[in-house]
Amino acid sequence: MHRAPLVTWIVAAALACGACRARDAGPAPAFADDFGDPVAQGTLEKPARIVSLSPATTDLLFAIGAGTRVVGRTHWDLWPDSARLVPDLGAGLRPNVEAVLGVHPDLVVLYASRDDRAAASQLRAAGVPVIALRTDRIADFRRTALLLGRATGERARAAICVDTVDRTLARVRAATASLPHPTVFWHVWDEPVITVGRGSFQSELLDIAGARNVYADDARPSPQVSMEDIVRRNPDLVLAGPTGAAHIRSSPAWQAVPAVRAGRIVVIDTSLVGRPSVRLGEAAVALARALHPGVLP
Amino acid sequence: MRRLFWPLAMLALVVLVVAAVLWGAVPLSPKAIVAAALGHGDRETVAIVRALRLPRVALAVLVGAALGMAGGALQGSLRNALAEPYLLGVSGGAAVGAVVVVTLGLATPLLLPLGAFAGAAVAIVAAIGVARAAGGRADPRVLLMAGVVIGAFANAAIMVLLADAPADTIRGALWWMMGSVAGADWTQVAWLALYTLLGGTALLALGRDIDLLALGEESAAGLGLDAERAGRRVYLVSSLLAAATVAAAGLVGFVGLVVPHMVRAAGLRRHRPLLAGSAVLGAALVVCADLVARIAHPPADLPLGAVTALVGVPFFLIQLRRFA
Repeated sequence: MHRAPLVTWIVAAALACGACRARDAGPAPAFADDFGDPVAQGTLEKPARIVSLSPATTDLLFAIGAGTRVVGRTHWDLWPDSARLVPDLGAGLRPNVEAVLGVHPDLVVLYASRDDRAAASQLRAAGVPVIALRTDRIADFRRTALLLGRATGERARAAICVDTVDRTLARVRAATASLPHPTVFWHVWDEPVITVGRGSFQSELLDIAGARNVYADDARPSPQVSMEDIVRRNPDLVLAGPTGAAHIRSSPAWQAVPAVRAGRIVVIDTSLVGRPSVRLGEAAVALARALHPGVLP
Repeated sequence: MRRLFWPLAMLALVVLVVAAVLWGAVPLSPKAIVAAALGHGDRETVAIVRALRLPRVALAVLVGAALGMAGGALQGSLRNALAEPYLLGVSGGAAVGAVVVVTLGLATPLLLPLGAFAGAAVAIVAAIGVARAAGGRADPRVLLMAGVVIGAFANAAIMVLLADAPADTIRGALWWMMGSVAGADWTQVAWLALYTLLGGTALLALGRDIDLLALGEESAAGLGLDAERAGRRVYLVSSLLAAATVAAAGLVGFVGLVVPHMVRAAGLRRHRPLLAGSAVLGAALVVCADLVARIAHPPADLPLGAVTALVGVPFFLIQLRRFA
């Protein structure tokens, strides 16, 4: 029985923890991020030390002129080249919170995946403003660009950036609109075979570049699919990166797909079309050129 | 050896805890750390020490203590030197219970351990039931085999439960199945402390019964113990302890196997001191493993369960050879 007071103490401590968290509401929220968490007003006063933990937001920050203020990035944020000079803080999903705090950030931009929820609350608890952003669609790019422009005090440049991308996309769409739209299987990964569904920016890029995603009926962003189903859907073209294309050409299983047997494989620079960021326009142009040779100059 | 055990074990625990607080992804001076622990210094350092390192070390201590005690109690009551929550499928069962709770959207600090406990209880009842039906209580390997297979079944069940889950849920579940104390916060620590304290106290109270059970069921019955009932209590409390660690830190294997052996080797045979010693050494072992997980490949964290398995599997194989 002599242990009872300690138990009481622990429960009391836990309750007290909860209570002080509830009380600490902070300053008035300006807007909500993609976790639905309020981003405090203070974030809008031009942060000077930004950590960006996703490739898409890192190149966006550089594009809108906040690049010199980025003091931390993930291991995978290698574009633009100057981003490589920023300290590498490791993983972007489940980041090392201690390493992030170690560079004394006054703003952390995270990818809004459930993996990062704990990190976001730990960083906020440490008094660091956090913006969690989910960039899966082209519309997400517009939204996050304008939002980061607001948060970093670079609204005008962010607007220009969005405008440039939008105009390029519109031009590519116009150039390919009257052309026949072949069906395309977008190869993302082998074993398991993963492609892109309707919920992805790649599917949108295919529409813009004058093609139809053969898995556009699948709402998931990156569905896992079976070889048999690909054969059944019989796409006109198979699109893959250089490594993926080499694998497809040499794999006996892929020969079951008529497009592969006929050599209708389109090779594309996956680092260009792999993220929904400032190079979306460039990516649409590259796709349109690969799908409809000679249409764009 | 026996007299030296307590001072040495406590010293090891204290040294490792201090090292774990001093060492991390960001180099900090001991002076800055002490100041930060008291709330002085810049905001980030205070957060690193108070909100990241201290709860992480505290969680590692509790996970190790709970697993050490659960392993010691299971080894004694089952008269099986290879018994351990992870190998008996108890941790796997707990993981299934916890995943079900998460999938149903009921994951609160109170319900998660209870869901894990339900899974753990089913797993241990199944493992012991199978071993008994095979008449294999005398051969420790039958129980182990049943446990390992139940663990495999639990893995499969989790994979099926997560088959159509979004990528982030699958990543989260995988991360958790490899064990980690990286995401520790004080609420988690408080809950695990509560469960460890209750379960640990219960096991210490059952220490005498475990001593008798370790003599064999017949001898225990001859000495006036209802072996069936006493055994059941020990299994359930051990499962609760293991389940609480699974809910807080995922699957951390082999701690419950290695630690009681070390304590017995130091000459502690009766189960009250043995369990208390296992708690201290288990805590030291998990703090040490987490320290390795943190500093081996910075800034990435290695999975804690992988580190403990790297130590535990060779140990298990050496123990297994003795039965051959």
